[in-house]
Amino acid sequence: MSSVIEAIDVCKTFGEQRVSKNISLKVAEGSIYGLLGPNGAGKTTLIRMLSTITQPDSGSILFCGESLKETHAHQMGYMPEERGLYKKMTVAEQLLFFAELRGLSTRDAQAAVKHWLKRLEMMDWARKKVEEISKGMAQKVQFVSCVLHSPKLLILDEPFSGFDPVNADLIKDLILELKAGGTSVIFSTHRMDNVESLCDHLAIIHQGEKVLDGSVSDIRRNHFTGLFEVGFHSEVDWSVNGVVPHSVAHHSDGKVIYRFQTNEGFSTADLLSAAVAKGGLVHYSEHIPSIHEIFVETVSKGGAAIAL
Amino acid sequence: MRNIFVVFKREYLTRVKNKTFIIMTFLAPLLMVGFYAATIYIATETGEDNRTKTVYLTDYNPSLMLSNNPLANYVFLPAPSSEDSAIADVKSGAVFGWLKVEDLDTRAIDSATYYTSETPSLVEMEGLKEWIKGKANKHQFAKMGLRESQIDSAQASCDILTKEVSNSGDVQESSSTLKSGIGFALAFMIYIFIFVYGSMVMRSAMEEKTNRIVEVIVSSVKPFHLMMGKIFGVAAVGLTQFLAWIVLAVGLVMGISAMFLNSGGGMSTQEAVQKGIEARTGMATVGAMGGDGVQVAASGSQGARDLAAEFTEPLSNLPYVEIIAVFLLFFVGGYLLYSSIFAAIGSAVNQESDVQQFMMPVTLPLVFGFVIAQTVALKAPHGAMAKLFSMIPLTSPIVMVVRAPFGVPLSELALSFGLLVLMFVVMVWLSSRIYRIGILSYGKKPTWKDLWKWLR
Repeated sequence: MSSVIEAIDVCKTFGEQRVSKNISLKVAEGSIYGLLGPNGAGKTTLIRMLSTITQPDSGSILFCGESLKETHAHQMGYMPEERGLYKKMTVAEQLLFFAELRGLSTRDAQAAVKHWLKRLEMMDWARKKVEEISKGMAQKVQFVSCVLHSPKLLILDEPFSGFDPVNADLIKDLILELKAGGTSVIFSTHRMDNVESLCDHLAIIHQGEKVLDGSVSDIRRNHFTGLFEVGFHSEVDWSVNGVVPHSVAHHSDGKVIYRFQTNEGFSTADLLSAAVAKGGLVHYSEHIPSIHEIFVETVSKGGAAIAL
Repeated sequence: MRNIFVVFKREYLTRVKNKTFIIMTFLAPLLMVGFYAATIYIATETGEDNRTKTVYLTDYNPSLMLSNNPLANYVFLPAPSSEDSAIADVKSGAVFGWLKVEDLDTRAIDSATYYTSETPSLVEMEGLKEWIKGKANKHQFAKMGLRESQIDSAQASCDILTKEVSNSGDVQESSSTLKSGIGFALAFMIYIFIFVYGSMVMRSAMEEKTNRIVEVIVSSVKPFHLMMGKIFGVAAVGLTQFLAWIVLAVGLVMGISAMFLNSGGGMSTQEAVQKGIEARTGMATVGAMGGDGVQVAASGSQGARDLAAEFTEPLSNLPYVEIIAVFLLFFVGGYLLYSSIFAAIGSAVNQESDVQQFMMPVTLPLVFGFVIAQTVALKAPHGAMAKLFSMIPLTSPIVMVVRAPFGVPLSELALSFGLLVLMFVVMVWLSSRIYRIGILSYGKKPTWKDLWKWLR
């Protein structure tokens, strides 16, 4: 599949600090790409380069195969982490301004504003000044302001931070809707809640470097270490071929989950037959690590590596 | 270019549609007129000390001093013979003061003493001095054998009519007073407007930064385009306001003159003018009273009428086109130059309170230009200093406008304006470098060192 945006060996330095170190990434058309990383990892710097606000010191960025130019900004929507609106302008004026900045003619801009205000049932608020509307409403306006011009690529920096849960869900739905319409999305986050349900592909950035990259299912599959979970109604005293459980978890309903590392001298068949022999088996599954676990593991490993 | 226009449109429309702007456009001229009217009223009606003062006079030549033409507001009584009782009366408030004049024979009178319970004002002292001087003059003339009527008829006064010879050989009546007044008024306007609209640009840049809206904007507009759109947008707001005021002023003047013509109130306007002039030349008037109070007062009102007539012809001879052209060009040039600096400051700081440290050095040349305009340029509009500062771009918008009514050679105007434009281009380039980094820099208060780093 062709890529909508591609970064090749991108580097950026502020003073002494190298904020992006040879980062390469590729966002496939019509996909959602998650940029994960702890605070200060360099996500915003990378995003600003992708959205033409700053230029990389070295390396290149391609937009639909062409070298990234300022004119490409008209095909992008961008919502920064720190965002705001003109307080004294009305909702409609504001949206019109952003649409025109993104290259729409006044007439097209007006039509787009009307469409989106209707879509979000905000027509009654069009003539209200931003300082007169609620914060949640302003958040919707904020999001709409970056999708008015039907961008090919939507870049969102921490889109869920600062949004209330209802609006966060609405934004999530809108992102999926845009994706269905062919828009590609990059978003950064340091929270994992939405990543698995939203992203097709993700990269983890840590201390300016890309430490992990791949499709969500591949990454989770690759991080499968052979850990299995076996659950019983109540506590049992058992081992498999003399190997004791790796860890034990007690659930509030009395269920007890035992985890076994299958590559420690027994097979999954051994594990299952031993479990069945004990009686009272209620649960048996592979333990595929969550993105959260992978993230924590990767980042702590990366940190240690750098510390060395 | 299109984006500059989109930004321009937003800056212009949101400001012009703002209620405060509309109200201020109509209110500001009224406030200004009210301010001057109040000043003139205070100066004429309440500014002077109108109390009638009873003062003892110990007199070297009683026949002369106490004869006719006493000093206005003063009632002189012969002082008691005992010094102690005179001072006691001053102390008790029975009399306002005690003026002792012991000598009228020398040309420099140094033996007059004034005892009062309150420190007399400068104006009062000047008045007394002039009065004594007048009396001394008469005393001296009398000693030479001249009669008082002869002295009065020998008093001369002088007025110089200025006629300017232009390159083409035309001779026209002109007035330095008028030209100074107009030049100064225009310079004052530029000074105020650069401050008002320059800081509007600064606040606008700062608002976008602190609102965090700027990052969204620069993802689709180059910071340079954003800055230029902002500067031009605010300039258009300023010009709109100018235009509104010109229309208002013309309408007001026409309305008022129509009203006065109908009611035959022409004289009262003239009286108002006269009062204003007297207020401004208060010191001289009080002084002149000493020589011959009644006569000067009479000729004063005549003088005001002459003054009005004196300005009519020079007013029609002013190089209006040149003055207006210079004003507009240098206003726009000066505004653009300073507002680009103001924009850079607005982008660099995070909050209003951090502005001060950067404002000082920027406003200094502007204030300096205004001081030069008030002093050097008005005294010697064609002097070397006036010429120099009307060439330096940071002061030229103000100084050149003061010189304009006196006639500045086209070559000088062109050079000065060229330098102004050049400086503007350089400054915009420098400012945009600061702006581009400043708008996305949050956190600690920037220092001059930071700005220098951003420039490079």
